[in-house]
Amino acid sequence: MNQLLTKRKKLKLESDSGWGYAFIAVALIAFSLFTAYPVINAFIISLQKYRPLGSTYVGLENFVNSFSDELFWKALKNTLVYTLLTVPFNILLSFLVAILIMPFKKKTQTIFKAVYYLPAVASGVSLAVVWLWIFDPLKSGIANQAVGLFGISNQNWLGSSATAMFSLVLMSWLSSHGTAIIIYLAALLSIDNSYYEAADIDGATFLQKLRYIVIPFLKPTTLFLLVTGVIGSFQVFQNAYLMTGGGPDHATTMVGLLIFNNAFTYFEFGEAAAQSLLLAAVIALISFFQFKILGKDIEY
Amino acid sequence: MKKRNGSTLLLSAIMMMSLLSACGGNANNTADSANSGSTGSSGAGKDTITALLPPVSANYQARFADMEKEFNALHPNLTLKIEPASWEDMTQKLDTQVNAGSPPDIAWIGASGLSKYAALDVLIDLNPVLSDEVKADYDEVPMKYFQLGDAQYGLPAYMEIHTIGGNKQFLEEAGIDWKSIQQNGWTYDEFRKAIAKGVVKNDKGETSRYGFVFATSGVTSKDYLAILAKTAGLPDYFDKDLKYTYTSKKFLGLLTAIREMIDDGSMPKELSSIDAGKRWNMFLTGQTMITGKGLSAFENSARLNNEKIKANDGSAVADSIEVDYISLPVPTFNGADYIPTSIVDGYIALRGKKEPSEEHIKNIALAVNFLSSGSIAANYSNELFLTPITESARKAEVLEKFPRNEDNVAAGKAMMAKALPARTDIPTEQAAEALKIETEVIIPKLQALLADEITPQEMYDAVKAAAVKSFGEDGVVAD
Repeated sequence: MNQLLTKRKKLKLESDSGWGYAFIAVALIAFSLFTAYPVINAFIISLQKYRPLGSTYVGLENFVNSFSDELFWKALKNTLVYTLLTVPFNILLSFLVAILIMPFKKKTQTIFKAVYYLPAVASGVSLAVVWLWIFDPLKSGIANQAVGLFGISNQNWLGSSATAMFSLVLMSWLSSHGTAIIIYLAALLSIDNSYYEAADIDGATFLQKLRYIVIPFLKPTTLFLLVTGVIGSFQVFQNAYLMTGGGPDHATTMVGLLIFNNAFTYFEFGEAAAQSLLLAAVIALISFFQFKILGKDIEY
Repeated sequence: MKKRNGSTLLLSAIMMMSLLSACGGNANNTADSANSGSTGSSGAGKDTITALLPPVSANYQARFADMEKEFNALHPNLTLKIEPASWEDMTQKLDTQVNAGSPPDIAWIGASGLSKYAALDVLIDLNPVLSDEVKADYDEVPMKYFQLGDAQYGLPAYMEIHTIGGNKQFLEEAGIDWKSIQQNGWTYDEFRKAIAKGVVKNDKGETSRYGFVFATSGVTSKDYLAILAKTAGLPDYFDKDLKYTYTSKKFLGLLTAIREMIDDGSMPKELSSIDAGKRWNMFLTGQTMITGKGLSAFENSARLNNEKIKANDGSAVADSIEVDYISLPVPTFNGADYIPTSIVDGYIALRGKKEPSEEHIKNIALAVNFLSSGSIAANYSNELFLTPITESARKAEVLEKFPRNEDNVAAGKAMMAKALPARTDIPTEQAAEALKIETEVIIPKLQALLADEITPQEMYDAVKAAAVKSFGEDGVVAD
């Protein structure tokens, strides 16, 4: 009898584990096909002079070419500048907006969340078209009308090296904070009220509560937004492609745009793949240091 | 229990199969349909020819179903399957399919892109399967645009001359004899004086109308330079000895002229940010006397807008004025001869990973010729205000008639007569290298020149350095 029960239990276990494997298989297959395979394939292509009807193996030539290409370094520098100018400011702005929204009632909060999230829902291409209109180089442009109020003459926003990068940065500053605001709000709402009550009893000011309660509790969220923000920013492509084409004189050529040009303008998929892997390595390195430096005293 | 384990395995297998088929299905199907070389011998009994085509003219895509039916009626053993694409995603769609090794049999491209696909070795030479009768139907100059070496990689659909377009009223107010210019052309000095006369300033001293506005934002700057270079003694990147020509002093002269037109105030100082839509809007709203680049079809666009203004139709361009569009030739620089920039677009024949059979290539040739000649070509040429480039299209009846400015028609013929055939002798590797210099050096430096950030000499030096690096001291023109 005991033997029979043990056998039944064993069979049930085997059956459960079978289903378990089946469900894991779905995720594993999806990961293999859509993540692992492209990465492995990109690595294989990076070692080839890729041609659709027959590629040739060239070893590390594509990596060497990328390292010796001035434009690659310039694009990397542009991307780094863009990241440094956009990510910290965007996080700060999202944090401030979240703090401002926080005291409102739930209904009002929802309205603000929806409004701020709207640009994230809109197509990036549509947003770019709107911004092209804002940066119209003639007097008809909204940005030029705005600076004209301060007696500043027409600016060639996207056509001049002096302003092209700033224009893209400004576009990033003034749009797409919705996701970060919502994440910050969720994190803010998860802080137990008793901390604030204790702080109130001790007579803490608003800034003290911010310094000693809010900021430490939001550190994991900030680190998350910083890491994902840097990753997203290093992969920026669309705005440079649609608004400046990388110009003038490569002032706004980002690595993403360079990779796109190599792949789809010159059909140099090998070099594009090599540069993609180099970009991935740079992002991984930066993320590693972010976790190493900022993630030390984080309690999840 | 075994049954349960079996069902688990079965489910997993189905999931795996469905994922795999979802990923690979499309490409495989396309490859099969694109390269199923057997005419009438397959199970389906018919050979299918696929084509990826953009909206060439306003009504072109609307006629696809009729075109497919007509082709099938002419060739009952063949099926023509046309996939429409927008202008925006045409190249990307095609390039994705080409790189996956499963392109359509036929695709629409500008002839300037021929070397790109030739370098990838995906083009099919139609020469052996095109009859002499078919070849004789096409005009020689446009036909050459789809040749590389001795290979005929496709057939031309139309040929267009890139002109510049003037506002008749403004030209006459500035005392410009546009009829004479249409027939005899003009030099850069004459043009420079003329566009200076076209500038109008308001009471505050601000320019309310420019003499000349050309779209130069982003990649359109390439058009601007290439069109002007043709008439500056630089008809191609390579001379007859295959030496790179943009290192010639003629190029420096052209760059100096480009800067002068902005410094004179005849063109906006913000020119580097003006895109194609903006400069056409500026033309229709009277903010410029001459616009570039001009296409024949713009005459019709201006006419349609005039009609909307007259009818008080709200869909007319905001603040636009009635405009009589006048086609003008591009001025000549450096004392060079007038060589118009001919744009030839058409259909190429493509192959994928699976080698197409001889029969299938024959069928592709039939379909390409069907699309680029006769009534189909007659209709889109007519809609675009172009003269057809095949005898069969010139003879064919068109579905609609459009009123045209006879002076523009005559000017178009005069310019077309000076069009040169495409170069078929430039090796694809050399053409690819020139394309890279164009994209990585010429366009970015031109943007900087237009934005007044570098001098013509600095741009010239940068292009020369890049050319010498690519082709060597002996591979470039030194004068």
